[in-house]
Amino acid sequence: MCSLKSERITEQIKIEARLARLQKVKRGATRVFFFALPFLSIVITLELLATLGVINPRLFPPPSKIFLTSLTLASRQVGGVSILLIHVCSSFIRIVVGFSLAALSGIFIGTLMGTNKIIYRLLNPIITFIMPIPTFAWVPILLIWTGIGDRTIIITIFLSALFAIIYNTSLGVRSINKQLIWAAQTMGSNRLTMFLKVLLPGAMVSMITGLRLGLGYSWRALVAAEMLAAAAWGLGYMVFAARAFMAVDVMFVGLFLIMIMGYIMENGIMGSIQRVTIERWGMTRET
Amino acid sequence: MNYGEAKTKIKTVNLRKVFGTGNSRVVAIDNLNLEIKENTFTVIVGPSGCGKSTFLYLVAGFDKPTSGRILLDNTPISGPGPDRGFVFQEFALYPWKTVLGNILFGLEIQKVPKEVAREKAMSYIKLVGLEGFENAYPHTLSGGMKQRVGIARALAYEPSVLLMDEPFGSLDAQTKKLMQQELMRIWEETRKTIVYVTHSVIEATYLADKVIVFTARPARVKGEIDIDIPRPRTFTDEDYLRHREKILSLLDEEVTKAFKEEKQKLPKQ
Repeated sequence: MCSLKSERITEQIKIEARLARLQKVKRGATRVFFFALPFLSIVITLELLATLGVINPRLFPPPSKIFLTSLTLASRQVGGVSILLIHVCSSFIRIVVGFSLAALSGIFIGTLMGTNKIIYRLLNPIITFIMPIPTFAWVPILLIWTGIGDRTIIITIFLSALFAIIYNTSLGVRSINKQLIWAAQTMGSNRLTMFLKVLLPGAMVSMITGLRLGLGYSWRALVAAEMLAAAAWGLGYMVFAARAFMAVDVMFVGLFLIMIMGYIMENGIMGSIQRVTIERWGMTRET
Repeated sequence: MNYGEAKTKIKTVNLRKVFGTGNSRVVAIDNLNLEIKENTFTVIVGPSGCGKSTFLYLVAGFDKPTSGRILLDNTPISGPGPDRGFVFQEFALYPWKTVLGNILFGLEIQKVPKEVAREKAMSYIKLVGLEGFENAYPHTLSGGMKQRVGIARALAYEPSVLLMDEPFGSLDAQTKKLMQQELMRIWEETRKTIVYVTHSVIEATYLADKVIVFTARPARVKGEIDIDIPRPRTFTDEDYLRHREKILSLLDEEVTKAFKEEKQKLPKQ
């Protein structure tokens, strides 16, 4: 009797677990569906319009053509390496180097400005005046100073990301609750510990905003700088060079790859940093 | 209790603190002279805005006196240091550190060996009744639990003085009462010199060995009342009520004075 009852309960639990799992899958599927729906509709519409001859496929290649072109580009090789891969990697390395330099120096300068009144007063006017200059305007000057090539592109990326990171870091440091600093001082904290263990994490909310903005600016700067200053490789260069052959499909492959890489860096990398820091620490409200 | 034999822990001599200049100049503390004995629980009460928190900040070393001196063990205070622990009204916990991390922080700074530090931190977690919450982040805790962490954090690196700035001021009435009992238990176990700022006379009479009443701004000592009722005290005890009335009458004069001054400053309608 008793065992029968417990068996029934176990059965019940199993069913409930299965239902819960199903629900979870269903919720996931709904999310994927709503995420993919707008993209799918655009792709299908464009494909249809191109097949029906409403739009000129030479000027506006259908998605299927863009996909095929990307395969062709990926399979064409130079020295045993896929052309497309070289373009992607060149851009990737430039942005990683440029953005990392900007992040490191921006956080350092921003923290100094946030903690030291004199440094703040000295640097703030310069930053306020330089910040509004579109990074693009620097490129011709840099071309003369550093020539065509990686150096100019990396410096452009660096400049484009730097100010947003400095500004937001210094703002973040200045808005840390003074009592958090006092508490560490009472414990006998030295400057280095204060910087690493209190100021950096305390400024994190604002700093992540700065880094995300900076990363966005970096992408724009990268593509623009590659168009003007890339010797032979990079997605920006690929898009720009394709204009000589009227290869709109190649341009779209470039746009598509820029979009995907940007998405991965922004949501994948910055998003995870945000999740394991400020969201976990309850420093932001859940959306 | 006889304080005559006890050692003086904190002493102020003609202490004065002025904020701002010109029209916005405010004399927060003027000619303040007091003495706090070692291992006693001293509560400072005064009308709100009278400068009692300012006084505590000066003792902590967060701010410097305009003139006069504060001596801790006969040496002038030159800045914040690990010989004084501070408990803030708004807890001031590090949101990026767990309960254990917050309490360990002071010990890490003091370069206490890892194993020893952990053991010590855990013993303070036990003292404040937070076993099982070591790995919780502060934002998941209730106000009362946060302040338990605040107290454990300030005690963990073993300062000789604990400074408490309205530590239960932002808690609800029930939690406040519980925390007061808990603080009494913790104090009896540790016997630190505690300087506790509050505007609640009920709280002051319940906790203190000695209550120091501050005047309305600028803060001076209005009166000192020794409370030698044995602990644990009850809020209905006759002795308790008598002491409470005494403090209250001293404070009431000052509150009225502070209110009149505020009113004079406001433009007439």
